[in-house]
Amino acid sequence: MEVSINAHMPGLVARVVVKEGEAVKTGQEVAVINCMKTEMSVVSHVNGVVKQILVKEWDEMQVDNPMVILESKEG
Amino acid sequence: MIKKLLIANRGEVVARIIRACKTLGIGTVAIYSEADRDALFTRQADEAICIGPANPMKSYLNLEVIIQAAQRCGADAVHPGYGFLAENSAFAHAVIEKGLTWVGPAPEVMEAVESKCYCRQLAERADVPVNPGTLEPIQNVEEVYRFAEKVSYPVFLKLDKGGGGKGIEMVKADAEVPAVLERISRIGLAAFGSSDCYIEKVLADPRHLEVQFLGDHFGNYVCLGERECSIQRRHQKIIEESPSPVVDPQNREMIFDYSLRLARAMNYQGAGTIEGLRSEKGDYFFMEINARLQVEHPVTEFLTGVDIVKAQLQIASGEKLDLSRSDVRIEGHAIEARIYAEDPMTFQPSPGIIEKLDLPREGPNLRIDHALEEGGSVPPFYDPLLAKVIAWGSNRTEAIGHLAEALNEFRIRGVKTTIPLNLSILRDEGFLAGNYHTGFIEGLLV
Repeated sequence: MEVSINAHMPGLVARVVVKEGEAVKTGQEVAVINCMKTEMSVVSHVNGVVKQILVKEWDEMQVDNPMVILESKEG
Repeated sequence: MIKKLLIANRGEVVARIIRACKTLGIGTVAIYSEADRDALFTRQADEAICIGPANPMKSYLNLEVIIQAAQRCGADAVHPGYGFLAENSAFAHAVIEKGLTWVGPAPEVMEAVESKCYCRQLAERADVPVNPGTLEPIQNVEEVYRFAEKVSYPVFLKLDKGGGGKGIEMVKADAEVPAVLERISRIGLAAFGSSDCYIEKVLADPRHLEVQFLGDHFGNYVCLGERECSIQRRHQKIIEESPSPVVDPQNREMIFDYSLRLARAMNYQGAGTIEGLRSEKGDYFFMEINARLQVEHPVTEFLTGVDIVKAQLQIASGEKLDLSRSDVRIEGHAIEARIYAEDPMTFQPSPGIIEKLDLPREGPNLRIDHALEEGGSVPPFYDPLLAKVIAWGSNRTEAIGHLAEALNEFRIRGVKTTIPLNLSILRDEGFLAGNYHTGFIEGLLV
């Protein structure tokens, strides 16, 4: 099933650190949000494979904006 | 005199500059990003122009758009505030090229002082003591090994063109050097366009001191006292005060003399700051030059009665500095607390909407620099500084008392703030005794 990794803080996307097709483990950093000049890690809460990247550097993020879609057996 | 000033910044510094403009009868233009559309500072200016989206690269850091805005509204001068483009010499150049007045030092001076190595060489030539280290950017890791062999680890590796606390790392052993050097070079290239690094000796428990000065176009210079800025976390200042509890009158004269020598050597015009360190033993070392208005300038203003922003505008307009050393009174004690929108325990940023705001009343002992209002937004895209609370007292104890009282009365709901941290600093015995250094916060949090 598809699992979405969402922004937990508002801000600007500093970078996406995973690539499509990449295997990701629970707790692994997938992206970084710059919130008030502080870099905050966005981590995956499941094991899975990156299916789609929805954001790019400098995109504006609100809390709960989907950032990365994983294909995962966990929900 | 300047007639219409565009302020290329946001938030409390815009409010501060507008105040100075009003005393001089200068019209003001604010610029704002879409995230700041309803912000108080946009209504405090005579005019306001939207310059782009929230992303600062497309708004507050966008040279061309800001200069177009200045031309469109008929401004004849630009003040950059601090942060954003304040230290960007290309911006200063572009402003001047369009025939506008730049409120700041000459772009050539700004460009030169970007390089810490240049500043260190300048100090060496002016016979001002410099913290031991390299005067030129290092070429390879062996240089670090050789230096560490002489002074012993730890040593600092710093970016030649760093800033804002970025690109400063301590190394404790040869083995750490290559990775650290590579990391800060990469940061330097991405953030500042230069990967050059240099080495500096680590002073044990230093104090961070800086001297505020003004210089005009006629070779007149004056020092407005020092500021003690040792209370920092992650190289960001939290509490600043003046005079410093440890600088005696003889040393004060000495560091004023060093500062003026450096300002003259640069042919500096406008307001500037010489930053330095004081070792545990009481030796003074020059560190760097800040070619702009500083966040903590109100401390000096409250102590001396000199309006630094007004002086900047007068100097930029070509007026003579009408202040000499004897006109600058250094009376009593001034102290400032910066309030950040952060969790006071974790320092995690805390953007949001200000639901409730109740500020202590300003007066002869209290000044608050801010651009906050109930219902106002604290956007996640910019610096977390919310407000500066500055207190004056006839002595240090009294000033600290006034500041603590004001912070206790400062009520803000909707965002978390560092007020509890400020208050715990002001209660600390070591702080009250004036006995502290740049590692104070780490010690407090342990």
